[in-house]
Amino acid sequence: MFDQKMKILVVDDFPTMRRIVRNLLKELGYLNVDEADDGSTALTKLRNEKFDFIISDWNMPKMTGLDLLKAVREDSNLKDIPFLMVTAEAQKENVVLAVQAGVNNYVVKPFTAVTLKEKMDKIIEKLGG
Amino acid sequence: MTEAAQNDEMEEIIQDFIIESTELLDGLDQQLIDLEKTPDDQDLLNAIFRSVHTIKGAAGFLAFNQIVDVAHITEGVLNKLRQGELRATPAIMDAILNAVDMLKVLMSHVKAKDGKEEDLSQVLAALQDIDVSAEKANDEAGKGKEDIATPVERQDEGGTQASGQESSQQKILKEDSETIRVDIKRLDSVLNMVGELVLGRNRLMRLSAQLEDRYGEEELVTFIKQTTYNLNLITTDLQLSVMKTRMQPVSKIFSRFPRMVRDLARKNGKEIDLVLEGEETEMDKTIIEEIGDPLVHLVRNAIDHGLEGPEERKSAGKSAAGTLTLSAYHKGNNIFIAIKDDGRGMDINRIKSKAMEKGIATFDDMERMSEKEILNFIFHPGFSTASEVTDISGRGVGMDVVKSNIAKLNGSIDIETSRGNGSEIELRLPLTLAIINVLMVGVGDETYAIPLSTVIEIKRLEGHEIKTMDGREVVYSRNIIYPLIRLSDLIGAGSAGQNAYVVIIAFGEKQIAVLVDSLLGQEEVVIKSMGEYLSDTAGISGATITGDGKVVLIIDVMGLSVGMERMVMQ
Repeated sequence: MFDQKMKILVVDDFPTMRRIVRNLLKELGYLNVDEADDGSTALTKLRNEKFDFIISDWNMPKMTGLDLLKAVREDSNLKDIPFLMVTAEAQKENVVLAVQAGVNNYVVKPFTAVTLKEKMDKIIEKLGG
Repeated sequence: MTEAAQNDEMEEIIQDFIIESTELLDGLDQQLIDLEKTPDDQDLLNAIFRSVHTIKGAAGFLAFNQIVDVAHITEGVLNKLRQGELRATPAIMDAILNAVDMLKVLMSHVKAKDGKEEDLSQVLAALQDIDVSAEKANDEAGKGKEDIATPVERQDEGGTQASGQESSQQKILKEDSETIRVDIKRLDSVLNMVGELVLGRNRLMRLSAQLEDRYGEEELVTFIKQTTYNLNLITTDLQLSVMKTRMQPVSKIFSRFPRMVRDLARKNGKEIDLVLEGEETEMDKTIIEEIGDPLVHLVRNAIDHGLEGPEERKSAGKSAAGTLTLSAYHKGNNIFIAIKDDGRGMDINRIKSKAMEKGIATFDDMERMSEKEILNFIFHPGFSTASEVTDISGRGVGMDVVKSNIAKLNGSIDIETSRGNGSEIELRLPLTLAIINVLMVGVGDETYAIPLSTVIEIKRLEGHEIKTMDGREVVYSRNIIYPLIRLSDLIGAGSAGQNAYVVIIAFGEKQIAVLVDSLLGQEEVVIKSMGEYLSDTAGISGATITGDGKVVLIIDVMGLSVGMERMVMQ
């Protein structure tokens, strides 16, 4: 089981969305949450601080969630951080690309705290087992 | 977490959603109009798509289903544009712009919490048709080569711009990350307290000066003087900083015009290039909110009456497309906003004949008037030169409302026009509404404040310089005759009868002389509202507290002049 104190990075260009995700995480008891407004700022944060989990939106300006995922997996210091991708529709093509790039799981907007917990637990289970 | 806390949290998230989505929607208007000019700009298409997509995503979480529905289908059409399956024709742009309008309406329901739903059928059907027609065209083109299609890469959500250069839209999105949102009520209360602080500072300065006069040699007095001096500087800085927090860029109002001008031009069969200048100029939030409607009216007027259609322009040797320029700039303690067109200009003879027809002025009156004075008739209630009333403007209401709205903000309007070459209307507005420079005058035992921005000249007067013309008192100064107002008569204040000075004040083209007993000096004062009960007092716009603790009424110049007309009538 993941520690409730683990540090989570929420990446989305839309402030309201970051707040929604943060709020859902709060419901689940995760309070150690930081935010980034796009892939490149996220990458800078990831390189400067230690994070235990990444929840990132896909469609963002400048650096997309997919590019962030690729960059994270290529970085030897970051490559093991669990990565949950948020997508708009369950487009199979998208999921395929994300899986190719090494995503741990994905969640389709809009989702509830319960769904988010399920996805996070699944990632945790897999890593644990 | 308790349920109540969770509800508060939700409420705040919804508030954020409203503010942030509204910003995106406002930006969309501009971006979509840009897109009409450069339909192949991939960065722009991506930015537009992303805004709609973002709104849809957040609305989904908050269960604003109507917003999701409209955004979803709009996004579909945008996606086709983005992938080159459709091209942005004016008809498609109309449908998308209508959808954006609908999103704004739906957002207003969210804001009002009225739970109202809109009939989406038309908006959705229009977009659906476009979507389907594109599909058909695609199907036909793609018949027999399904095997070759590679949807995996083409459907890549947002991946297309990953390698592209950064567009200007993206830069703008990035810039405001280091800001926090503050409830305007909190800022207002800070501003109010700073106002009180300024009054206290003024009083302390006055007392400190008196102290120095009386006990100048004492060391303690020197210390108090120094401290007061420092306090003065800091208070002034603080006041400025707080005022700045209330400032917003003019782009806030300018941003609505590209869309409006486009729609009006299309409706009227005119070609118009809109040029926006100085959008970054900042003004007080209240002023920004108040000048939106007057500006809309002036722009509509310029398009309807000023700018000609392409044929008329060509035959006059001009380019087919007219140019409408909206500019804002900062000069001294004022902000200027100008609306300039290169249309046909105003017809002074038409204005003259209309003024006679409406009984506003006689031919003889106008013989004595300057061109500017005659132009100013367009601000007269009930005046309209448009021979036919259109649905854009020309209902004969408006220009007078524009004028009084600007005057309410302590601003003024200036018209320049040249037959055949176009017109320019310039609004002068104060930087802030809260603090003004005033001239303190004495009438009998009372002190009054006259806004310094309206004062043109101050003149010492000998009693015999007051003449009577047509039963009206006038004053003659530098070859100009000014109608005279005795402040004591008008406000009903007693006068010691010294009547030593006239203050010549102006608003617009009108100038009047005001007779007062004494001049007490210039002071920077914080305007306090008179409260609802006294808000309609003619001739008085507010009150302030001076350095010596006295309450002083601020004279409303426009109200004075109206009061004068009334007195003459009687």
